[in-house]
Amino acid sequence: MDAEAVPANGRALTRTLHVGPPRFTQGNVVDRANSDLEALQGSRDAEVLIDLSGVTYTYDGEATPVLRDISLTVRRGDFVLILGPSGCGKSTLLHLLNGSVPHILNGTLEGTAVICGKVVADTKVAEFATDVGMVFQDPDAQIINTRVRDEVCFGLENLCRPADEILIRQKEALDYVGLPGFADRSIFELSGGQKQRVSVAAVLAAQPRLLVLDEPTANLDPAGMTEVFAVLARLNRDYGTTIVMVEHRVDELADKVSRVVMMDQGAIVFDGSPRGAFSARRVVHSEEADVVPTASWFPQVSELAMDLAAASRQELLPDQVPLCIEEAVDLCSAWTIPAEALAMAIDAPPAERSKKPLLSIKSLSFGYHRDSPILKKVNLELESGAIVALLGQNGSGKTTLARMLVGINAAPAGAIDLGGKDLSKLGAREIAADIGYVFQNPDHQFVTDQVDEEIAYGLKVRNYSADEIARRVDDVLGIVDLKRYRHRSPFSLSLGERRRLSVATMLVLEPHLLVLDEPTIGQDHERAQQLMGLMARLRERYGTTILMITHDVRLVAQWADRALVLRSGEIAFDGAPIELFADADLLRSAGLLAPPIHEVSRQFAARNPDRGIRPVLSSRELVNALVATRGKASK
Amino acid sequence: MKRSNVFQFRAGRSVFHRLDPLSKLAWLVGVSLLAFGAYIAWIQITISLVVLATALFLARLSPLEVVRGTWLFMIACTSFFVIQSLTLPGTTIAFHVLSKPIYAESTDYALASALRIYTIILSSMVFVRTTDPRDLAIALVTQMHLPYRIAYAFFIALRIVPTIEEEIQIIRAAQAVRGVARKRSIAGRIGETKRYAMPLLVGSLRRASMMVMSMEGRAFGAYPQRTFVDAPHMGPMGIAVSVMTLASVVAWYTALALGYVHAIYVFAPA
Repeated sequence: MDAEAVPANGRALTRTLHVGPPRFTQGNVVDRANSDLEALQGSRDAEVLIDLSGVTYTYDGEATPVLRDISLTVRRGDFVLILGPSGCGKSTLLHLLNGSVPHILNGTLEGTAVICGKVVADTKVAEFATDVGMVFQDPDAQIINTRVRDEVCFGLENLCRPADEILIRQKEALDYVGLPGFADRSIFELSGGQKQRVSVAAVLAAQPRLLVLDEPTANLDPAGMTEVFAVLARLNRDYGTTIVMVEHRVDELADKVSRVVMMDQGAIVFDGSPRGAFSARRVVHSEEADVVPTASWFPQVSELAMDLAAASRQELLPDQVPLCIEEAVDLCSAWTIPAEALAMAIDAPPAERSKKPLLSIKSLSFGYHRDSPILKKVNLELESGAIVALLGQNGSGKTTLARMLVGINAAPAGAIDLGGKDLSKLGAREIAADIGYVFQNPDHQFVTDQVDEEIAYGLKVRNYSADEIARRVDDVLGIVDLKRYRHRSPFSLSLGERRRLSVATMLVLEPHLLVLDEPTIGQDHERAQQLMGLMARLRERYGTTILMITHDVRLVAQWADRALVLRSGEIAFDGAPIELFADADLLRSAGLLAPPIHEVSRQFAARNPDRGIRPVLSSRELVNALVATRGKASK
Repeated sequence: MKRSNVFQFRAGRSVFHRLDPLSKLAWLVGVSLLAFGAYIAWIQITISLVVLATALFLARLSPLEVVRGTWLFMIACTSFFVIQSLTLPGTTIAFHVLSKPIYAESTDYALASALRIYTIILSSMVFVRTTDPRDLAIALVTQMHLPYRIAYAFFIALRIVPTIEEEIQIIRAAQAVRGVARKRSIAGRIGETKRYAMPLLVGSLRRASMMVMSMEGRAFGAYPQRTFVDAPHMGPMGIAVSVMTLASVVAWYTALALGYVHAIYVFAPA
């Protein structure tokens, strides 16, 4: 463990705020450092809500601890973001904060854990109800009741509060989260973002001192995510609610949190200010013990600052690290680029290949009920060898469209043409020979008890020879790096490995089109990158077209050749991602956000028209543009 | 957007939606008792029509929803009717089918039997569609004095059924993409179930664990009693429905016992 990277609580923030003078003297940057310091000093006097000392936790039946010697102090009013690769113990740490660990998720707890003045080992989960509110990733799994009012009242009813008081608090909680008038609505009528806000209201009604959230926006579209983050920021800012959360979507959160904790293999490896956290690259370990750069979950604007410093061969101080778009634009404007600055290497675009028409959709309409169509006259052509992103709000028809391509939803006759054949006339196996579909949850697709048999299954039902099956399975196991697990049960693999296995089961059939349904949900950025790297190799090797349903605009910007936007069942956009992100009205109406770097470059270009910089999609492209135009006049 | 399940509660403002759960439960039990006791077709037709009218007018189900929810049972009941009509013995010939005599007694009994099944299915659908499982659980606690932990276990079980059903559909679709063909034989179906079981079990355990944490984290089970906001209570309408149902059941079985009920064959000989 890197000693520099493992500061004791709070000390790192103090140190980073005092490291040297600011590199540039714009007033806002000095103010930023001072306000961080004031916030920290104010926080020092506040009541301690979380006091962990030397906590080690081992689940029953496991040989190695999932938490190792954790010491953490969180005071009233803190907004703490916990980051780390999958399997590092983040969720276990959160579950410790209300006693679910060790009282529900059993195991051995060592060390001292005191939450809101109560010793965790001696306090039942229910006794934390008025102190700690927990919100989980999947709103559908945590919402118990079928009506909004019942869900928000549930905790207070359990606490035997008088009915009058419960109704008042229920109304207040719904008002807090921006859902006034929703009390009588059915849970089933709500969007994902609204459901998650109901979950927040349901725990807020008991007025907990500490709010703990485990990836609350993982299943939400950008609009839903923005709603939830806005509620959390308001709670922390206006009501001083202490928040501890695990979240992968840091771009929209970095400027709202007061502190970042990074974990690796069950231990805390960084604890300090967001600027300190995002000022330097470190490495941690993934669930499969591979090395993962922490920068993979940094905000894109912080990545930009690091790239800018690297290109300029200058040191980046924590105070200079931007956390939001406005700060990044300020940084680009104020940063002095020396004459010896070098352009950064950019990945070469994939070689142009001859594109063959693969699939065409003509005037496709579909709905379960005649009066509420899900897809309306969709027209679309897909060519071979492309990576295409399908975007849109939850409920816009993305999954329905994708499922029609593999015959899960029956396509109307003549609406979808696959290589000259009418898709509606093909059987499931014939379609599956050409089109693969990787579901959100890999577990749903497993049909055998062994990894290699799982990959061989699709070939066996298509009557391939034993030699051909053995050859292909071996080949694909190598591509997805699962050779060493070939005799293991699919369910015993880690989530990342299971995801790779589900891709492998499709890959082995060498499909012409592979559909990925939300490949990044519940996965950290690094894992999503690995998956997309695999897709790119697949395209290179077999000329496969990848159609990915996603909300992750950074992934789209980095990997997609083409973007499709579905809005209320209609294709609202079909073109290059850079054109999509330039259309602010479309993004707004489709509930999408542009990647931060696109916004930074767009705003910088508007502020400095003489530099002639155009909006770009990657940090390195922007740095190169800044380096190339450094001599030109600017405001 | 997902296909909605017809056998699932949907909020509404119909007369039946406004009725308390225990009155509806009494109605459902009463209809079932009447249906089980009625072996004569005209009685069964009357009960079926009353239940159908209840579904359409008092529960505000659309005819399409009724058909969507019960079409499988319609096919089953029709088959049942045809087979019984052709095979049961009788004495009074009603008509001939391909020179085979069809007896009035057998068609009457077959019709009563088929409609009995349909009536119970339709009345269950009315109950499920108009009753929030939570309200039913609360009514069992506040009106029947069932311990609330048991009532909530019952509620959660009902609440989770559509979710599991949805997950099975996803697993089926996911496995169909792998090339798994649906089997029609019993052995094939058993094999299919085995394949679904593991992913379903893994998903259900994860979900159950999440629900437990969500409930306990909000003080569920912390005290022997709990407050119920909006606990349903039996109003005048509920009392009227319950009394009428009870009176009908008592009258019907009394009439049966005293021999006042006589068959009037629906398929009487020409």
